[in-house]
Amino acid sequence: MAAQRDVSSDRAPAVTATREALLAVEHVSKRFETSEGVISAVDDVSFSIAPGEFVSIIGPSGCGKSTLFNIIGGLVGDYEGRVTVGGNVIHGTHPAIGMVFQEESTFPWRTVLDNVAFPLEIAGVPKQTRLERAAHFVSMVGLSGFERRFPAELSGGMRQRVALARTLTSEPRILLMDEPFASLDEQTRLLLGDRVLQIQQALRQTTLLITHNLTEAVQLSDRVLVMTYRPGRLKRTVEIHLPHPRDSEVVSSDAFGHYLAEIWHDLREEASRGIKEDESRVLHGRGKA
Amino acid sequence: MTGLAISGWRIAMTRLAIVAIVLAAWEALAASGLLFRDVVPSLVAIVQALWRLLGNPDFYANLGITGAEIGMALLIGGFAGLAAGILLGANRFLSRAYEALVYYLGPTPKIIFFPVMIMWFGVGTGSKIAMGVVSCFFPIAISAASGMRQIDRVLIRVGRSFRASAWQMVSKIYLPAMRAPLVNGIRLGLGVAIIGTLLAETKLSNRGIGYLIIQAYSTFDMPRMYALLIVLFVLSIGANAIISRLGAAKSPRAA
Amino acid sequence: MSGTTLAASRSAARVVGVVTVLAAVALVELAIRGGAINRFIVPLPSEILLAIPRIIVDENVLHRFWQTTQEILWASLLLAVVGIPLGLLLYRVRILRLACETWVAALAAAPIVLTYPLFLVIFGRSATTIVMIGFAAGVAPVILKTIEGLVSTRKVLTDVGRSFRLSPAQQFWKILLPAALPSVFVGMKLGLIFAMINIVGIEFLINFGGLGQLINELAERYDLPGTYGAICFVVLTSIVFFDVTERLERWLRPIE
Repeated sequence: MAAQRDVSSDRAPAVTATREALLAVEHVSKRFETSEGVISAVDDVSFSIAPGEFVSIIGPSGCGKSTLFNIIGGLVGDYEGRVTVGGNVIHGTHPAIGMVFQEESTFPWRTVLDNVAFPLEIAGVPKQTRLERAAHFVSMVGLSGFERRFPAELSGGMRQRVALARTLTSEPRILLMDEPFASLDEQTRLLLGDRVLQIQQALRQTTLLITHNLTEAVQLSDRVLVMTYRPGRLKRTVEIHLPHPRDSEVVSSDAFGHYLAEIWHDLREEASRGIKEDESRVLHGRGKA
Repeated sequence: MTGLAISGWRIAMTRLAIVAIVLAAWEALAASGLLFRDVVPSLVAIVQALWRLLGNPDFYANLGITGAEIGMALLIGGFAGLAAGILLGANRFLSRAYEALVYYLGPTPKIIFFPVMIMWFGVGTGSKIAMGVVSCFFPIAISAASGMRQIDRVLIRVGRSFRASAWQMVSKIYLPAMRAPLVNGIRLGLGVAIIGTLLAETKLSNRGIGYLIIQAYSTFDMPRMYALLIVLFVLSIGANAIISRLGAAKSPRAA
Repeated sequence: MSGTTLAASRSAARVVGVVTVLAAVALVELAIRGGAINRFIVPLPSEILLAIPRIIVDENVLHRFWQTTQEILWASLLLAVVGIPLGLLLYRVRILRLACETWVAALAAAPIVLTYPLFLVIFGRSATTIVMIGFAAGVAPVILKTIEGLVSTRKVLTDVGRSFRLSPAQQFWKILLPAALPSVFVGMKLGLIFAMINIVGIEFLINFGGLGQLINELAERYDLPGTYGAICFVVLTSIVFFDVTERLERWLRPIE
């Protein structure tokens, strides 16, 4: 068994040394009441993201990262601590934060273009303008020519691209993504990751990605925050010093391998804990997680 | 799902309130004399008619006849429908050849066949049972056929790998595997069998609940008609609920 | 199996189906001619076939068809105008839904059409009675499917709405309602079919109206080939109606 790490000394620095944080999460905790008692999903998590940074949060299933996603996005309230954007505390959903969900979230009854134009439609932008702007983002995600198609005609990966374009159209200051590529196969994920990174670099989009996929986290991020299994705390920060522009070829480099190893070292412990707790829960008749 | 859970008590109270309001409105309408004569009889009159009905052996005789007709119809139509459905579901060729026939004949008004049934089976219970059979055959056949097709193919392969006979395949694999859609089909079949048989009785009969209803209509004994309809509805909905309950029972709870 | 042989076997099956049915009819024809089946109970299929054009001309079938169609149209209007809003109401007012939904489901299983003598008393032997019974018979699935569509909207879609900070009205019109529409259309299709079946049936039973009444009349006249022919005609018509409603539902349903 590896020597117990002193988690507190490895806590990610609250503010990156050089620039003002755009998004700051300060001592956020969230507890849920369940039939098994009070469960602490997230425990005293603090971190910040500088403008233009791409940060990933990685952790095993059950580490509370989706809860964190919902808290920052404002879909879940009643938590301790605070979330600030540009120094201002935010409560609930905020126009500065754009969310891309894990599940299928395109509107099946709208064409690709109408899906992507949705935020502008809500904002009351006149039709001609909004369709033009939407078309711009449709082509940014590489779906030019598909504007008039319906989501049912597209593959899963294409639909997630539509969801991404839709969120980008609202020009959020912070892009928040919850495992958007979880349902795709490895190869599609790598290629889509390339594209997402290109877009992010071109737009200088501040991005927070929740994922359980090691490769994805290292491939895309400037920083990776590792969470513990329940109760979810930040275990470690790993700065990724791979050069930009990156593409998926980087996964075969030595440096990449070292980062993977470094992160897996911490993640593995947490993932094992998760599996053991799952097994004991079933064994003692408390049902699945 | 967000939102507070609403307690069972509040739901029960709401239901009581709705029933009370409806009954009160009914009684008010009855007393007001707005609608002519007895269209909305007082609740007291209806309860009295119900009481008389339930105490009348003649009623039970008629109920027995109708019940027997429906039972026979379900038996004959059910077996025929099940057999047809299993055949259609099991054999792709037969399905392509004949299933459209069953599927498209299903949603047609069956009562219009009644004159033919009378010619073939006479004016007695035979034609009523025939109406019931024609009505319930289709939903049972259709749900059996689709039930067959939704059986996990691997279960069928398991049966074949153990060289089960055709009868064993049906009784030990097909029927248990498609219990849910089948029970649903039987439930629907019962519903339409009741309708088919009773409508036939209202058209041409001198026995049965349908006959009693149309008799009450022609003698303008409205409280009695309401009483009969109430009994009919209670029995139908009850039978429906029992079948649903039977169908839902006894699958092992998922871990 | 290659594509063409698959298609060939499919049409082969259909051909076999059609041919066997025609063969059965031919068998019946021969049996009647041979005296095995009493021709006063089952008329010759050839006679039935000939009777159909006769009744179309003599009995003004087109006009009757229009009568029945009008009744169906009125019933469908009522279904949409009453059934869908009721479903909406039950969705919005949660306690009402929890209290009433099982009642509506029970009603869907109940033999509503058997209350037709009641409607006769209230509305008399008229088209109104027929329309009201059609409506009563079809309203329960419309309400239930409307509720189902609204309730089963995937949570992620309303989450998208929340993430874009939609007002409650916007959530309803731009997300909930479009998401529920496929289910609403299925409900309308079911309601329409129940309405049609009961409308024609009641026309037959109360001897009033269009196509249903025609059958009753021909039966009372002991016009056997005519009765059988009219029954065949009505069955064909209802098949076409069913097919049209299915196509309509599929066409209206946004691609899921």
